[in-house]
Amino acid sequence: MPIEITMPRLSDTMEKGTIIKWHVAEGDEVTAGDVLADVETDKATMEMQAFDDGNVTHIAVDEGQAVDVGTVVAVLAEEDEEVPPPAAAAPPTEATEPATAAEPATAAEPAPARSSSQRKVTPVARRLAESHGVDLSTLEGSGPGGRIVKRDVLTAAAAGDEMRAAVPPSAAATAPPAEPAPVVVDQSTMPVPATPVHPSQPAPLAASDRREPVSSMRQTIARRLVESKQEIPHYQVSMVMEMDAIVELRKQLNGELSEQGVKLSVNDLLVRACAIAMHRNPLMNASWDGDAIIYHSEVNIGVAVALPESRGGGLVVPVIRGADTKSLRAISAETRALSEKARTRGLSVEDMEGATFTISNLGMFGVDAFTAIINPPNSAILAVGACLQKPVVRAGELTVGWEMNATLSNDHRVVDGATAARWLGTLKELIEHPAGILV
Amino acid sequence: MSEISFRDALRDAMSEEMRRDDRVFLVGEEVAQYDGAYKVSKGMLEEFGPKRIIDMPISESGFAGMGIGAAMMGLRPIVEFMSWSFSLVAADPILNNAPKMLYMSGGQLGCPIVFRGNDGAGGQLGSTHSWCVESLYANVPGLKMVIPAFPADAKGLLTASIRDDNPVFCLESERMLSLTGDVPEGEHVVPIGKAAIVRPGTDCTVVAFGRAVHFVLEAAAELEKSGLSVEVIDGRSIKPLDIDTIAASVRRTNCCVVVDQSWSFASVGSEVAAEIHRVCFDDLDNHVHRVHSDDVPAPYAWNLEQEMLPNARKICEAVRSVTYTA
Repeated sequence: MPIEITMPRLSDTMEKGTIIKWHVAEGDEVTAGDVLADVETDKATMEMQAFDDGNVTHIAVDEGQAVDVGTVVAVLAEEDEEVPPPAAAAPPTEATEPATAAEPATAAEPAPARSSSQRKVTPVARRLAESHGVDLSTLEGSGPGGRIVKRDVLTAAAAGDEMRAAVPPSAAATAPPAEPAPVVVDQSTMPVPATPVHPSQPAPLAASDRREPVSSMRQTIARRLVESKQEIPHYQVSMVMEMDAIVELRKQLNGELSEQGVKLSVNDLLVRACAIAMHRNPLMNASWDGDAIIYHSEVNIGVAVALPESRGGGLVVPVIRGADTKSLRAISAETRALSEKARTRGLSVEDMEGATFTISNLGMFGVDAFTAIINPPNSAILAVGACLQKPVVRAGELTVGWEMNATLSNDHRVVDGATAARWLGTLKELIEHPAGILV
Repeated sequence: MSEISFRDALRDAMSEEMRRDDRVFLVGEEVAQYDGAYKVSKGMLEEFGPKRIIDMPISESGFAGMGIGAAMMGLRPIVEFMSWSFSLVAADPILNNAPKMLYMSGGQLGCPIVFRGNDGAGGQLGSTHSWCVESLYANVPGLKMVIPAFPADAKGLLTASIRDDNPVFCLESERMLSLTGDVPEGEHVVPIGKAAIVRPGTDCTVVAFGRAVHFVLEAAAELEKSGLSVEVIDGRSIKPLDIDTIAASVRRTNCCVVVDQSWSFASVGSEVAAEIHRVCFDDLDNHVHRVHSDDVPAPYAWNLEQEMLPNARKICEAVRSVTYTA
């Protein structure tokens, strides 16, 4: 029996996958476990492996092509098996039920459903959707048979413009992709911040302008952050933290433990401090759920990491799970490993799932203070500025000290200002008296 | 500029060219002593005499062939068919000789000739006398074809046709001969191969040729009442076809209806639609819709004839369909 290989569902939110690269060609013999292709999902690029032995008799999806979960992407056959080409040239199947990911469509009965990639769209509607930044998959076509026509796109674009007019652009900074200039701490394992993204504004193209289709990662960033900024009632609370003690502590620890390969960053200390603060103020470790609030039992801290241009840029948020139960040494090692993996091989979906809180750090770019957009379904994100030497007043005396600004963005549906202020106060206490971080 | 009839505009074109160039002459049935079956050549015998305004027997193949011979020898004949329906018996000279002469003589013999006459349903003339020849004849390489819809273009296009060094088929309509309009006095040349926007609009482009332009204008006025703004393009020439003007309009409106009096199969309308699909594919919000005469021989009964034609009602339906407002 020929075996149809379908686009697997590699994460809960995955609806489509893009074959970035085929590692096999038609005619190749493969054994179970061989890597067939690299698949880009909305979150990560992952390997697709063969579960059976056989010969690749048909490759149905070109490199760069995005198809729905469940779509037949290739066909395997046992040796000497006569294989007719698939009845339909890999009709993408409707990905309504998760089960379709696991159940290959039979060649005899191609699913009749029409996937979003096969939706009927008139040529001008497709072109206008691109130029106005309208996502065709969100539209209901008003033409015959649900065909999406010009007026559907223009109506959606007009609605989008009204939305944009109603939501002023966020004040958040955009991190440049260039190598950061060190300000205070060692950069090598320092996670870099979330890059807030605004919905694309259609603008007339000048002759010298360039219009580039975006990667599926950037589309995901765009979609999620627009949703976040539009749905979550954000507010911010901010505190300046004295960093003298923690700068001193880090210097001491790194000096004494350097032979063991320990090289803590300020961010590692912050991850630990936030995790402990969460433990003390569990109201912050929560998510809005329509008509309820979910209080998470685990404290999973996401750390925003910018990707190098060589990996297409963008940002990912690897997660330190159970950060309140892990030692500083473990947090540091794990953060370093995840950042390295993100920048070289790419993170798996597991590496990025389950965050209950996120830290975004722009300190290494020399940013004093900024505000970040909440990473749903979190209810808060901490925007961390640079740790800088400043003239400060300590015990009534003007002196030179280390300071850092931390700004907490909160979902007002989940936590009110006083709760957020108390949590930030707890964090400040932990940072300024770091024994609590160690023990 | 003076307001004259389509009929007089045609005559002015012929007379002015005959005064300008003594190689030009007119032959046809009843063109001389009877002043033309439709009075287009009224007074021309008196002015130009029987050597240049020549009555012919009912023998289209013979006098069309004679005209072609004269053109090959350096004259510039105008051959009038009382109706283009009668040109069918002259198919060999007009399709097989005139358009191919330059090619077959290796460039030695041109054929600067104009064939002109009434095209399309004249009003209860029956199926054999109601031919629309444009789709049939435009298929042949080596000829040009113009189809004016207004008096000024009748004068300008016929003048351009007489001056052209190739065989030009000029399609008129007896239903339009009495139509009046402002026509420039003196020399007036409308270049062959240039369409005109006769009514600007924003929601849908409608391209038509000849008499059908008036059906479209009627439809456009009706559609305006329901808020649809139709841009009407008068093709004016069928061959060569001014696809540039049509395409520029379709790129603004994103949809198009082509109205063509001839039958739909392998027609001027299907050619225009194919060209629009080729050059405007990414600009289209719907496939090009076409309105033709129904695929039947022209009926004799008045009501059936009106129903068979690409009338305003059918055009309105097509525009509503192509704009998704049906």
